[in-house]
Amino acid sequence: MANAVTEAPRGAPPRGSAQKRRKRRNTLIGWSFILPNFVGFALFTLVPVIAAFALAFLEWDSYSAPEWVGLDNFAEMLEDENFRVALGNTLYYAAGHIPLTLMAALGLAIVLNGKLRGVGFFRTAAFFPYVTSLVAVAVVWRMLFNPTAGPVNQFLAAVGFSDLPTWLSSTDWAMPAVIVTSVWRDMGYYMVLYLAGLQSIPEEYYEAARMDGANAWHRFWHITLPSLRPTTFFVLVMLTIQSFKILDLIVVMTDGGPGRSTLVLAQLVYREGIVEGHFGYSSAIALVLFVIVLSVTVVQFRLNERRNR
Amino acid sequence: MVTPNKHRGGGRPGRFRRALVALTAVALVTAGCGSGGEAAEESGPVTLTVSVWNLAATPEFQAVFDAFEKANPDVTVQPVDILAEDYPAKVTTMLAGGDTTDVITMKNVTDYSRYASRGQLADVTDLVKSKQDLKLAGLEAFDVEGKYFAMPYRNDYWVLYYNKKMFDAAGIAHPDKLTWDQYAEIAKKLTKGEGEQKVYGTYHHTWRSVVQAISAAQNDGDQITGDFEFFKDQYEMALDVQKAGATLDFGSAKQASYRTMFETEKTAMMPMGTWYVAGILKNKAEGKTAVDWGIAPMPQKPGASGVTTFGSPTAFAVNKNAKHTATAKKFVEFAAGLEGAKAITKVGVVPSLQSPEITQEYAALEGMPSDELAKTALAPDKTVLEMPVSEHTSDVDTILKEEHELIMVGEKSVEDGIASMRDRVKKVLD
Repeated sequence: MANAVTEAPRGAPPRGSAQKRRKRRNTLIGWSFILPNFVGFALFTLVPVIAAFALAFLEWDSYSAPEWVGLDNFAEMLEDENFRVALGNTLYYAAGHIPLTLMAALGLAIVLNGKLRGVGFFRTAAFFPYVTSLVAVAVVWRMLFNPTAGPVNQFLAAVGFSDLPTWLSSTDWAMPAVIVTSVWRDMGYYMVLYLAGLQSIPEEYYEAARMDGANAWHRFWHITLPSLRPTTFFVLVMLTIQSFKILDLIVVMTDGGPGRSTLVLAQLVYREGIVEGHFGYSSAIALVLFVIVLSVTVVQFRLNERRNR
Repeated sequence: MVTPNKHRGGGRPGRFRRALVALTAVALVTAGCGSGGEAAEESGPVTLTVSVWNLAATPEFQAVFDAFEKANPDVTVQPVDILAEDYPAKVTTMLAGGDTTDVITMKNVTDYSRYASRGQLADVTDLVKSKQDLKLAGLEAFDVEGKYFAMPYRNDYWVLYYNKKMFDAAGIAHPDKLTWDQYAEIAKKLTKGEGEQKVYGTYHHTWRSVVQAISAAQNDGDQITGDFEFFKDQYEMALDVQKAGATLDFGSAKQASYRTMFETEKTAMMPMGTWYVAGILKNKAEGKTAVDWGIAPMPQKPGASGVTTFGSPTAFAVNKNAKHTATAKKFVEFAAGLEGAKAITKVGVVPSLQSPEITQEYAALEGMPSDELAKTALAPDKTVLEMPVSEHTSDVDTILKEEHELIMVGEKSVEDGIASMRDRVKKVLD
């Protein structure tokens, strides 16, 4: 439809330079509208990103003149145990955070989409963690996970578990604890997206299905889920990007510890760059992280396109 | 429709160009603001900016500032307060971004060596040379191939804080030159109570220095070489005390404040740096704590002759991009000298400047423990630098910290931990 509108004037007989000028004018007006936003984006995002890409092939301590080192930074990465550990941990985090948040958000949205008494309150309550300061969230959960005095372990002990995990002081349990915290924090935001998606599903579909004798599970599987595909795709893409970029929560909760058991890529970028001053190497890691996120997102787009066909 | 457009269309690019020119002008003006730093000699009122951490809990900063302002009436000192935990990263970023804060406080020697090697600090060798008659403890740590880029004004070393009341109540003699075995034994004896009421015999903070730096100092070990066998005894002692429940476990200690532990009398002993003296004196004076405290020398290896401890100096440096370089240098010199030393001594901080006069003033401070034990603690025979300075210091520091955590939470045995420290550090050194 949008094509037809723009096609029409193009099909009309050419009116020479006047036509061209009008087009240019429209373009300029259009640009002037996006200019304020674009200037901000260019100054604070585009230029630094391009600079970071260039830095990945340099060695630079932020003070002396940068030195061209070609692919040395990437070769160093292959040798670097910290990089391997951080990459593994980032994948582990993403593998836990993405599906769990998605399921939690969808579940919450379905429950809170019904005609429940006080539904507004519960929706707000579910969204609340997302607007809470991340540092506060991390500090509170750190206390909850305290191995001796924390409510989590006290509850587990009360219901009869023994030999409890020490959570953030254990290399095996630190990452699951971080994942639980981040799922709790993020699910409210994606729940809102799912709620919007759910409300756009026409009630008639369900009515028709009910007539045909579909039970609740069938209705969910064959109507709700397929109708939510665009939402799920968006949520998945956002979650993937967010997951791979995880930094703040981990810095406050564990600072990568114990040992290196929760060290993630973004944190390594920060540590190598800002703390150690190896800006070239740090940018190279950031570039690799960028490529990973980009390729995962591209794959998701491809899969989505194929299914849309 | 076409004709009016023709006219207006012609005007557009002109306006657009003008807007571009204006934008460029704004950009140029803003850029110009950033590079007005190089002033030669200052005259008239000067506002000197100094980077500090936790100003409210670190009273010596204000003490030096007040003294300096009094001696230089036309100077106002404006502290740039930074959260203590973020201090190194924040200062690194500031310096990298060309920040013009005049005086940068060097929280530790490792960061100092990095800033100095990057050429981010002004050379103050002439100041140091002109003050050669002063005895500044820890000055050698700031020697970078014969040049100095900072001057120490305070020098902290570790002592054993203890709660006199708890020792007396248990009928145990105050901790005079203990061996580590005796220390562990006393820690277990003084532990009592359960849950919220539990009082620990000692408190080991989570820093790796609590185990590593003291054992390096007392065993002549080098924390850079990659051979860390000398950590073994100290780790076994620390783990034994922790296993007996005589200190807060590592996981919980990560979230604890050592100040709260000692001041709310949750622990009977605590190895800690002398910087904490100022904090206790202040809180006692303000009535925030009633702890009856003393200081003793750090426990020693069996058969050790004198008192060996570790410590690190703190220094002021002049930013290379300082707005007021001359005043900044004056401040650095003042803080390291006698007047600066006297000012910080008054709030209970051990100055770098060593003179009988200062020592006497320090011991005579209001609220300061003045018994013989405190005097021995405040005059250690040997103070080893907490962490040697080399280009690999910070990489090695990260590795030692990570493996320390793993040993202390019981994920790795002492032998395995020390072995992976060795393997990982050797890789960095190669």
